[in-house]
Amino acid sequence: MRLGVVGLVIAAAAMSAALWLGGLVLAVQDQLAPPSKPPGQTQPSVHGAKKGDGDIDIVALGDSLTRGTGDESGKGYVGYMVDELRKQTEAPIRVTNLAVRGLRSDGLLRQLGQPEIQRQIAMADLIVMTIGGNDLFRGGEALRLNEKELNAAKRQYAANLDRIFAMLRRFNTDAVILAIGLYNPFSDLGDAKRTSAVVRDWNFVAAEVAARYPNVVAVPTFDLFALHVNDYLYSDHFHPNQEGYKRIGERVASLITLTEENR
Amino acid sequence: MSKLVYNEMLKIVRKKRLWVIAAIVAVLVALFTYAQYRETEELRKRLGTTDWRTQLQQQIVDLQNRLQSPSMSEEWRKYLQIRLKQQQYYLEHNVNPSAPGAPTFMRTFIENAIDLFLPLLVMVVAADLVSSEASAGTIKLLLVRPVKRWKVLLSKYIALLLSVSFIMLTTAVLSYAISGLVFGYGGFHLPLLTGFVPQGEDLNTDNVHMIPQWKYILMELGLAAFVSTVVGTLTLMLSVLFRSTAAVMGVMLAALISGAILSNMVSSWQSAKYLFMVNLRLTDYLKGAAPPIEGMTLGFSMTVLAVWGLMSLAVAFVVFARRDVY
Repeated sequence: MRLGVVGLVIAAAAMSAALWLGGLVLAVQDQLAPPSKPPGQTQPSVHGAKKGDGDIDIVALGDSLTRGTGDESGKGYVGYMVDELRKQTEAPIRVTNLAVRGLRSDGLLRQLGQPEIQRQIAMADLIVMTIGGNDLFRGGEALRLNEKELNAAKRQYAANLDRIFAMLRRFNTDAVILAIGLYNPFSDLGDAKRTSAVVRDWNFVAAEVAARYPNVVAVPTFDLFALHVNDYLYSDHFHPNQEGYKRIGERVASLITLTEENR
Repeated sequence: MSKLVYNEMLKIVRKKRLWVIAAIVAVLVALFTYAQYRETEELRKRLGTTDWRTQLQQQIVDLQNRLQSPSMSEEWRKYLQIRLKQQQYYLEHNVNPSAPGAPTFMRTFIENAIDLFLPLLVMVVAADLVSSEASAGTIKLLLVRPVKRWKVLLSKYIALLLSVSFIMLTTAVLSYAISGLVFGYGGFHLPLLTGFVPQGEDLNTDNVHMIPQWKYILMELGLAAFVSTVVGTLTLMLSVLFRSTAAVMGVMLAALISGAILSNMVSSWQSAKYLFMVNLRLTDYLKGAAPPIEGMTLGFSMTVLAVWGLMSLAVAFVVFARRDVY
């Protein structure tokens, strides 16, 4: 009996040893002399994405504001918006947050070139986005730019925004797009008059561009932060804090009527 | 000779080591299966979808956000950047790198076990092959027989190799059988990508090609068996050198654990790449993860390991043949 067990172990070990040796040879061959046959790009069709499954699909695009930087709870305005929406509906809400911190309008354009991003957008029932804050502020130094440079940046921003909306509309013809505007985080500093004027100007441009497309709504946030700005800003003096995000989230949620959305 | 090997195998089986190892593997696989199950559930709940493309896209965006953090160490940034490019590649080619199933579990299990867990199991068998005979005095009974000393050690070495093979078999079979209960047994034919070559912060995809998962797993098992053999050989040498099994275990454990720690911090210490313990993660080369030190390749790591193995084998035989036994 004992002998049988040992014999079995030896037999099993010897046979599997051949297998491992084979695997090792395969690995070396495969890695050191790989077949030069790169796989072709096979992508799921963007238009094949299914919609209207009863769920509410929300896609969030843009920069750190949409990501929620500065909110200790990590929800950001998207999280608070969804909290509000959950009060209105029983339908499952699915959020895909594709925002990347520090993203500028040209970065968003590049992101929209990716097929999977396009597929996500095609599936969306609602799109919320923030873009432009980094184009304008560039981490705080941009407000020192002179008039000419600022105007050039603004023109570039408007052109990019136009292409962004055009692309979004192409991938998804009917989802409502809520483009959330800029606020002035420096409105309590000495230069407030000038900085506020610049932010107002940029918001105006964004609203103008948005108006060229159906179902694209520019949502203002400027007024939310106009008074007592420090109560609503995170310690970096740039991003909103939890309270600030709550205000944005509530405002955005108040624009959404789910009965229509959920046809 | 075959009688000697049989005799050695008999000793190993009698000590019930192999069954203990099988039990350890079974318990750990069950644990990891449950953990993995909870994790996928959690992910599904958080993202509200089972669509792997959506999940992968979310992971990519998360990586992009983490890369924006200014206070990140250079090597970690490089590692993340390469992973980001790889995931993007998977997504663009519509290949799911982590489709659920027992084979996928098996693959990740081997990847995670190759540098510490499997070597540990091998140590359990190899550590007292010679030292226990020395401390118990049975070595005299072994050596008074009319057999050359190198033959005695060779028979022990062959028994060790057989044990390594058996441990690999146990790991493969158990991880497949147990995880399959939860994840299902299918998925051997899923396509996987291999051949990524990290170059600094970039990822060279010229040689990327698709292989079925069964082949990938077989390759991983082959590499893991190679690593286990080398670690077993090193342990055997220590077992010849030291009379105390505890000393053997201590030294090997220290080496293995220091390897796991060193891999995370040696990127600026070039010559560390000649240490055997930072070269254990051979499966990372299949996956295309950034190596701990720039310039390390599969061929390099295997050569380093082979040289260490051969040298320790030579030391073991020379010392064993010359040592005075009394």
